[in-house]
Amino acid sequence: MDFKQFLKEFKNRTQYDFCDYCDSSISRRLQRIVEDTSMSFEQILDKVTVDEGFKNKIVDDITVNTTELFRDPQLWISLYKTHYQKLPKSGTITFWHIGCSVGLETYSNLIMMHQMGLLDRCRSIGTDINPRVLNIARNGEYAYRFNMFFRDNFDAVMKGCGFDAKFEDYFDIDEKADTMRAKPFLLERPKFMVQNLVTDKAPFPYRVDMVFIRNVMIYFNDKLQNQIISMIHSKMYDNAALVLGKQEALTSQMETRFSRMGQYYTKKPSM
Amino acid sequence: MSNYKAVVIGGSAGSFALVLKMLSKLRPDFGLPIIICMHRLKHIRSGLAENLAMKSSMKVVEPMDKERIEAGKIYLAPANYHMFIEFDGTISLSTEEMSLQCRPAIDYTLSSAAIAYREKMVGIILTGANEDGAKGLKDVADKKGFTIVQDPATAEVPTMPRAALKLVKPDMVLSPEGILDFLNNLQ
Ligand SMILES: C[S@@+](CC[C@H](N)C(=O)[O-])C[C@H]1O[C@@H](n2cnc3c(N)ncnc32)[C@H](O)[C@@H]1O
Repeated sequence: MDFKQFLKEFKNRTQYDFCDYCDSSISRRLQRIVEDTSMSFEQILDKVTVDEGFKNKIVDDITVNTTELFRDPQLWISLYKTHYQKLPKSGTITFWHIGCSVGLETYSNLIMMHQMGLLDRCRSIGTDINPRVLNIARNGEYAYRFNMFFRDNFDAVMKGCGFDAKFEDYFDIDEKADTMRAKPFLLERPKFMVQNLVTDKAPFPYRVDMVFIRNVMIYFNDKLQNQIISMIHSKMYDNAALVLGKQEALTSQMETRFSRMGQYYTKKPSM
Repeated sequence: MSNYKAVVIGGSAGSFALVLKMLSKLRPDFGLPIIICMHRLKHIRSGLAENLAMKSSMKVVEPMDKERIEAGKIYLAPANYHMFIEFDGTISLSTEEMSLQCRPAIDYTLSSAAIAYREKMVGIILTGANEDGAKGLKDVADKKGFTIVQDPATAEVPTMPRAALKLVKPDMVLSPEGILDFLNNLQ
């Protein structure tokens, strides 16, 4: 059985559909799983049908969950100078972080909103396929020393925006336990929900002012990317922003529906 | 030009100055894509491509995900992403876990290139301070690609070429000048 057949059968048995993930990356992840478990594709399929925990572990191992606080500092500085200034002047501002992983991107955005005095008007929602990372996101607690460079990212962004803010304004640091945890006023803001972009039919209940989907679609093939962008497009207000990862661009097919604004896109108003 | 479709180069400590020098002396009409995976220090995330572009007559890009590989361009693995060569002649990027504390990992670029290009590629390992790249070069050799390792005696930090030599018997062990000559004479 090759990995394509495995993915088809995996979908039949688990409802998780990875068939349109990018070949090289998914085949490598699967190869690693086969090596780590010393099981064949057939054996893995048999076990996921009867063992929920094992199934979750396979989903966890297939997906890539790496993330950072203020990943790509330049992006946040440029958002501050551009789209953040154009957010609605009253009412609720809705942010959707797709593939939010352990929530650091969500908290990064909320820190910016707090600096701009907009925190109270934010509706911030993070979604991800993987329940494990969402639990971490809800808890808002992360390893500290391993992630020292979060501080560098934080400082670079605050400096670039001219904000006078300290890391400790937003995170409680416990040197002994080697943890940092988002402060309660930050922690209480976002909602995190399990959602599978590929298989959930009605994936989002609100219209949005800003969508972040960074470093998620690099794992998808073009066909799946187009399908996802169409769905997102239908959830965006006119002129709302779509933020992709630093090395990502829309396919030429989707590009016509958006205006490119340097590091992000905005939805062209419908005629 | 030649039977080859691409040249893939990996290096770490000491390789940046070397690559700059080599690219500045490369024939301007060099007809193959050059794919470079170099480790960089965490805080130096940009500037590499700009520097290379200044020294080289070829166009230097830090590719976007799924960008098509074209002859005569230099592709530099972007900071903090692994870079893979796909079967259909495109590049794909990934943020997955580091490999041997490296992202980008040379092993990933070389191994994926070996699958995509088989015998139609040249793989080169330069100076560097860890063992990344050795496994990837072995994959290139296994698929009958042409392999070159920088002579450790000429390397600023010999760990990486030594590690490669432990795993692979390369087609050539060359000094930087030798590598440059080889590339300029690729027909
Ligand atoms: C590399 S992380 C990106 C995290 C963050 N956006 C960033 O750029 O730092 C990719 C996330 O996408 C999630 N993901 C992958 N496939 C998904 C799907 N079909 N539906 C929803 N989320 C998915 C993964 O679980 C993972 O947490």
